[in-house]
Parts: sequence; C-alpha cells; structure tokens
Amino acid sequence: MVAELVVVGLSHRSAPLDVRERAAFSEDEQAAALAELLELPAVGESMLLSTCNRVEIVAAADDARRAVADVSGFLARRAGIDLAPHLYDRVGPAAVKHVFRVAASLDSLVVGEPQILGQLKEAYQTAVGAGSVGPLLGRCLERAFGVAKRVRSETDIARGAANVSSVAVELAKRVFGRLDGKTVLVVGAGKMSDLAARHLRDDGVAAIRVANRTPERARELAVRIDGAAVAWESLDDELVLADVVITSTGSRQPILTRARLKPVTRARRYRPLFIVDIAVPRDVEPEVGKLEGVYLFDIDDLEEVVVQNRKGRDAEAQSAERIVEAETAQFLSWLRAQGVVPTIKDLRERFLGVAAAEAERTLGVLGARLDAGGQAAVRQMAEAIVAKLLHTPLMALKTEEEADDLVAAARRLFALEGGDKKR
Amino acid sequence: MTVALFWVAIALYALASAVYLASLLGLPDRYARHARLVLGLAFIAHMLEIGARGVAGLHPVSSVREAIGFLAWALTGGFLLAQVRWRLDAAGAFTAPAAAALLLTARLTPAGEMVTGLGALGRIHISLATVGVSIFALATALAVLYLLEERQLKHKKLGTIVQRGTALETLDRLAHRCVQVGFPIFTVAMITGAAWSARRSADLRPEYVIAFAAWTAFAVLLVARVVAGWRGRRAAIITLVGFAASATVLGIYLARAIW
Repeated sequence: MVAELVVVGLSHRSAPLDVRERAAFSEDEQAAALAELLELPAVGESMLLSTCNRVEIVAAADDARRAVADVSGFLARRAGIDLAPHLYDRVGPAAVKHVFRVAASLDSLVVGEPQILGQLKEAYQTAVGAGSVGPLLGRCLERAFGVAKRVRSETDIARGAANVSSVAVELAKRVFGRLDGKTVLVVGAGKMSDLAARHLRDDGVAAIRVANRTPERARELAVRIDGAAVAWESLDDELVLADVVITSTGSRQPILTRARLKPVTRARRYRPLFIVDIAVPRDVEPEVGKLEGVYLFDIDDLEEVVVQNRKGRDAEAQSAERIVEAETAQFLSWLRAQGVVPTIKDLRERFLGVAAAEAERTLGVLGARLDAGGQAAVRQMAEAIVAKLLHTPLMALKTEEEADDLVAAARRLFALEGGDKKR
Repeated sequence: MTVALFWVAIALYALASAVYLASLLGLPDRYARHARLVLGLAFIAHMLEIGARGVAGLHPVSSVREAIGFLAWALTGGFLLAQVRWRLDAAGAFTAPAAAALLLTARLTPAGEMVTGLGALGRIHISLATVGVSIFALATALAVLYLLEERQLKHKKLGTIVQRGTALETLDRLAHRCVQVGFPIFTVAMITGAAWSARRSADLRPEYVIAFAAWTAFAVLLVARVVAGWRGRRAAIITLVGFAASATVLGIYLARAIW
C-alpha cells in the first residue's frame, strides 16, 4: 500500500485563455497556495505548476479519489468560477505519465518548446522550499527531469522548435517588413518580456524602452537588454512613439484598454502598432485588436501560429512518446518495489528465522558428531532451501503488476505482522 | 504576325498568372521566380505586338481599345520594375491576370468606328489618362493584396497570402508612392480632357462626373494622409474606389466606341 500520485489541473487543451487567466497563480501567491494545499486532509505531498498554458497541482495521496475532489475544490474556490468543465485529473500510472509528458514538452501546445522544463524545475524548487515535497513527489519529479533530458538528447523534437518570442518577431516582420529603425516598448519587466526583447534586439530594432510599475525593475531589465527605462506615468506617450509593444505584467486587470488606445491610434496617425500580449491574465483587452492599424496577438494566438507553422515534428514526437512510455513503466516498477519491499523483507526474515531455528535444533542433536565445517554446511543448507523456496514467490511479488493482492495474500498466509503497514 | 504576337503574349500572361496564383495558394516558393521570367517574356511579346500594330498605323493613343492594350503593357512594366526592388510575387497574382484581361478586352472587342479628329489635345489626354490609370491599377493591385493580408493578420489566420505576401507597411508605402506619381499625370489628363471635350461639345456627360469622382478620391487620399495620417486599410479602400471609378470611365468609352 503506497500513496498514489495525483494530477489535477487545466491546460490549453482543456481551457480557453479567459479561464486559464482566472485560475493562474502569480509567483508570489504560490507559497501560500502550497501551504493551503497541504492543509487538505487527503493531500500528503504537493506541487503547483502555473504557466501561461497550464495550472496543475501534482500531489501524493493515500486516498486518490478524495485528493482529486479536494484539489478540484481548492482550484475552483480560488478561480471563483465553475472549473468542472475544464479540469482534468490523472491518478497513479496515468499521473506519472502525465508529469513525464509535461516535462518532456509533449503536452505543450508547441510540442518541443523548451520553456516548460525550466518552469517545472522552478515549480519544484518552490515546492521544495515550501516543504511540501516528500519522497514520492521528489522521486517522480527528478525522474521527470531525467526523461526530459533523454527526450531532448535522443530525439530531434526540440530542433527548430519555434518559441513564442521568435514567432512574435516573425509576425512583426509581416507588418513592418524590416525591424531596423523601429521602436519597441516593453510593458512589465517579467522574464518573458526579457526573452522577447532579446529576439527583437537581435533583429536590429532602433530602441527598446521599458515601462514597469516599479521603476527599479524597469531599470534592471533595461540594463539587461540594452534599452532605456521610462516612467510608468508616461505610458500613453510611449505608446504613441512605439511600433512594437510587448506586455507581460502580473496585473490581474487589463492595462491597455480600448478606451485608452483609441486616442493613441489617432495620435499615431494610424501608423501600424504591433502588440504582443504574453501575460496571463492578459494585459490587453481583446477589443484593442479591432482598432485601426493595431495588430494584437495574445499568447494563444502566437502559439496557434507556431502550431500552424510546425511541420514534420510528429515522428519525433512519437519516438519521444516511446521514451516516456518506457520511463513510466520503469518508474512504476520502482514504485511497486517500494510497496513490496517491506513484505519481501518480512517474508525473508520469517523464513530464515524458521530455517535457522530448525538448523540449530538439528545441530543440537548432531552437533557433537560434526566438525566446524560440517556445522556450517548444515546452516548453509537451511539457508539455501529458504532461498530456493522463496525465489519464485519473491519474483512474483516483484514483477506482478497489481502486487497489492499478492502482498496481502503473502502477509495473510505467512501471518506477517502489520498487513497494511505504510512506508 | 501581329495576331501571332498577340496570342503569344496572351499565352505567356496566362501562364504567368497561373504560376503566380498557384504560388499564392502554396506552390513551393521557387516557382515564383519562373513566374517573373514568364511575365517578363509576356511583357516583351506584348511590346513587340504594340510596335507591330503601330507600324500598321494603330497607335496606342489612336482609340480607347489601343489605349487599354497599352495600359495592360504599362501595368506589367510598372509591376516588373517594382518587383526588382521589392518582393511582390503575391501582387503578381493580381497584376498578371489583370494585364491578360485588359489585353483581351483591347483586342477582342469589336473595333467599332475610329475616333476621328482626335487632334493633339485628344492624343495627349488619352496617353496621359492611360498612363495615370495604369499606375493607379498597380496601386490597386497592391491595395487588394494589403486588404487580403491585413484581414488574415487581424483574424490571426495566417494563410499563404500573409506568408508569401509583402509586409503591410511596404505595400502601403508602395501603393502610396504609385498614387503620388499617378495623381499629377491623371490631373493633367483631366484638364486636357476637359479642354478637349469643351472644344467638341458643351454637354456634361456622366463619364465626366465619374472621372471627377475618381480624381476626388485620389485627391482626398493624398490630402488625408498628410493631414490626418490616413493610411493602411482606409487608404487601400479609397484607392479601390478611385480605381473603380476611373476604370468605369474607360469602360464607358469602350462601350461607346463599340456601339
């Protein structure tokens, strides 16, 4: 009887952007959320992964069904909406496989994109820091990172995997032709804007300007990407000057609204304005994209484009899936072994105990007639009989898919102590 | 000889159109280069044909039909010139068929009666109007491509038109430049036309009004761009309207020459 792995969550496959942005956790909220998760009675260990494409909770639980219900309730309460149509859950082997697939970027919208692994590692570190990771989750995640590494090195899945930033640059070129001489405005100093701005910098834009609510972080990012920090208050003026805008703030409310941008387009004399919104929740109202001369792409749009552009990566994905399958099976057999190990130990102790006792009894009668070598031979014979007799049942215990019944039977047949012992 | 050249030109135009269109619909990119070559050959065949007709006494400005034939040639020439500098293969899918259609119209419509007593003023009017409208036609091809591409970008459905097309800002700038060049020529054509027709009769014909509407559309376009920054989609639509009006005038002349 071992605790089971449980995954509950929603992703781009199950939920549209407007649901995902309600369910998302900001970096600052995650520690508190983990603490809250651990208070759920059914949850033993837990980890929280919140990216722009998915919000997932990985947990270890003795009562998987109850854990699924509890965690679903937790997510729905926090999002404040009915998440039932969007949530999925995976239990046991399916949960392990899911975690491996996510780590290997097989569940990503852009299969093979490299960012998810970093995000998963970060989520794991956060959970370790919060003390919510135990042996099961720890082992599973560490194996998941190994799987991701294998997939990366053994398949070509990641080669040419267009990431969102490079697609944003490509799209900007469809509007502007060349990007040299263009001005980029970065709104919000998150990691994603860093990446996107670097791509644009490589394409020779004339200037990168950074606006952020906290000026220090704007300055930091500006230094990193060789740009200039500008005052948050002058955002409207900056919008008039810019050609490309990248937004990735942590704001829960849209920052660029239609009402705000309408006068901006007029002041720009309808020069094209290309906006990339990589924030979840979104920073730009969808209505903004309908304004004249404004081309707005949010994270889903960008990834949709990536998917449209993708060709010939399916074969690689298939060989990656095979790696995941094999690794999942291996992990599960390790997990099973963890369940039968105490029983095997008990069984061996019991048998060896009986054998040793009988050997000593025999030696008590025959002992005087045997020399030291003969006595050792009798003891060895007893142990050898035990080993031979136990070989088949132990193999059965170690390799049986559903070992729980066998464990229970063995414990009952041989009257081993504590049949439901937990590790 | 003339007729043979005409059919050679038509066949080449048709082939170029087919390759350009196929390339827009997803044919591998390298075929666009062949389309350029074929269109260049069509241009040469067309030029020889116009020359041969000229030798036979049918000058490009001697009638509306001849003028339309010349217009098709000028449009092709303008496009070939522009695509040396800019990647405009997607616009070829509109210009090549347009040139083919115009040439067919010019040569296969009944000859009707020759316009008599053209005079110098009439000749200047017809030649300038033809050149002006052919430049507007080029601007229109770019505007149509602009509208198609912008539609895909706005709807985030990035089909081959966007992928093979030219960047929006480039299309907008090129179309604007065409209008900038075409407008003064068209203006002089309007003035000479007015003077010429005033000399012939004082009636106000519908085509004069439509021609004036075309001129107004392009004038508004140029002024609004400077004053209010109108560009992009708005500019493309006004270009379409202006061109439709000027093409209607040509159509009326052609119809009148036939019947």
